[in-house]
Amino acid sequence: MQLVVQNLAKLYDDKRGLAPTSFKVDKGELIAIVGHNGAGKSTLLKMLASWIVPDDGTVMVDGIDLKNRMALAGKVGFIPEDPNLFEFFSVEYNLKLFARLSRTPMSRVEKILDEFKLLAFRRSKVQTLSKGLKQRVNIGRALLADPALLILDEPTSGLDFEMTREIYLLLQSMHAAGKTIIFTSHRPEEIKSLATRIMVLHKSKLIFDGAPHEYFQSDIHDELYSL
Amino acid sequence: MMRNVFILAFNDLAFAFKNKTFLLVLFIPLFVFVTLNFVDETGEDTSKVRIGLLAQETLTPEVSESINAAETYIELTRLTSSEEGVRLLQERELDGVITSSEDASGSLVLLVLKRDSIQTLAIMQTFAALQKTAQGAAPDWISGIDSLHQGGIQRETLPTWVLMLVLLIGFVILPAQVAEEKEKKLLLGLLQTPINEVQWLLAKLILGMTLILTAVLFLHLLGKFGLVHLFDYMALLLAGSFCFSAFGIFLGFLCRTQASARTLGVIFYLPHLLPSAMSDVSEKFTAVAPLLPSYQLYKPLQSILLESASLADMTFDWIYLIVLGSMMCLFSYVLMKKRWLM
Repeated sequence: MQLVVQNLAKLYDDKRGLAPTSFKVDKGELIAIVGHNGAGKSTLLKMLASWIVPDDGTVMVDGIDLKNRMALAGKVGFIPEDPNLFEFFSVEYNLKLFARLSRTPMSRVEKILDEFKLLAFRRSKVQTLSKGLKQRVNIGRALLADPALLILDEPTSGLDFEMTREIYLLLQSMHAAGKTIIFTSHRPEEIKSLATRIMVLHKSKLIFDGAPHEYFQSDIHDELYSL
Repeated sequence: MMRNVFILAFNDLAFAFKNKTFLLVLFIPLFVFVTLNFVDETGEDTSKVRIGLLAQETLTPEVSESINAAETYIELTRLTSSEEGVRLLQERELDGVITSSEDASGSLVLLVLKRDSIQTLAIMQTFAALQKTAQGAAPDWISGIDSLHQGGIQRETLPTWVLMLVLLIGFVILPAQVAEEKEKKLLLGLLQTPINEVQWLLAKLILGMTLILTAVLFLHLLGKFGLVHLFDYMALLLAGSFCFSAFGIFLGFLCRTQASARTLGVIFYLPHLLPSAMSDVSEKFTAVAPLLPSYQLYKPLQSILLESASLADMTFDWIYLIVLGSMMCLFSYVLMKKRWLM
């Protein structure tokens, strides 16, 4: 899986968004995108997930233009910050619905329920679950079609320490399974040992793209996060 | 304590302003005001009764002279055939058609669209006044009233109830559901799977049409309304439910939140329901209603349910409904592709 982003841009009326940005992602990378609120992190990920139509630029996934959504369905999985599940229905119903639409065998649902420790909650309505559990269901749902590229927008937002650690372990195991992962975080310190590459967005611009040790050795971290 | 109550009340008002509930609060009285003006305004023209008379019909000299002398109150149209009279009645161009009674008494028979309507009452009052002036106390000139609409008062109201159900689901329920799917990012989640926009739109159309048909069926079962011209009725309901479901989906796409969708829905619902449903009691509504899409459903509904007409006579109406519905689907598709307010 290779992702090539060229001059991707989206500017809102309040001048926030993302200025033209280019980068390339190779198979098996685990990329953390960091930056303050409003830096353009979510806008970038939502464009990669086809949630937002860009003003300009192109995104190619394995040589296929992102505009060709049908050809890429199942290859890219997106997990938004707030779980977007059918709250009135059970965990199992949500997973089965998306499995049916993705033409995924039902055995995959059982596997996801087991892997994500959701068997005990399979009949629970989503609205009765904690945010951490909802996020687990959300990630499990995105993995139903076994996408090669996984995009997560602040997957640990609002979660306690234990749940955050659990999500990071999950990311590590998915990375070990060969998936390419891009996720955003407010907290660079936390992803120090997790990411293989860090990209920093500041005021809608990509200001750093490199290895974690380079980032922490540079002045950028101190300039952005010093009190 | 009261300070907190005021702070909360102010917050609630601000919230109502933000989610456009205030628009609804202002819109409804405005709409009622406009409606009342339409209904109550009485000018010279609106007080005239419009009577049709067959060209070959011979009336008694008293009746004939009285009608000719009362041109301020009666607008007389000469008809070439009784079919023309029926057509003009159905098109609301005439209030009644006068024919001579088949018995030799010289009395008249009045043919109207609805027996219990203000038009019928106006004709009867006008003729009673003319007769009193011409003859004093004498047998009534009009000895019988025939009505094009069949059935009693309950059946007379059936087209209005059906229209209300169709518009309620189309303009109030569906936009809120579409907006909810947008607001909670459920639609975007679904679009992560290999479904395309057209499939999602078709599913929503099926939902809207199923809800409408179920509600109408339930209404018939509860009201024990018999069905006439089942095929024509079903075909018209399908066309109408398609049109207004598509309209509702489009309205849902124009809104970011459920609250906005409900407000916009009501703003569309009332002006579509009332002019059509009240077109029988107001000449001005009769003039305005045909401009609304809802009238293209209401009029054929009336004709099929009350006048035993067939859909073949209403080609314009059902083609209009299908074309409008298709246009709304197209607009929704474009907004969906642009991820409008998602």
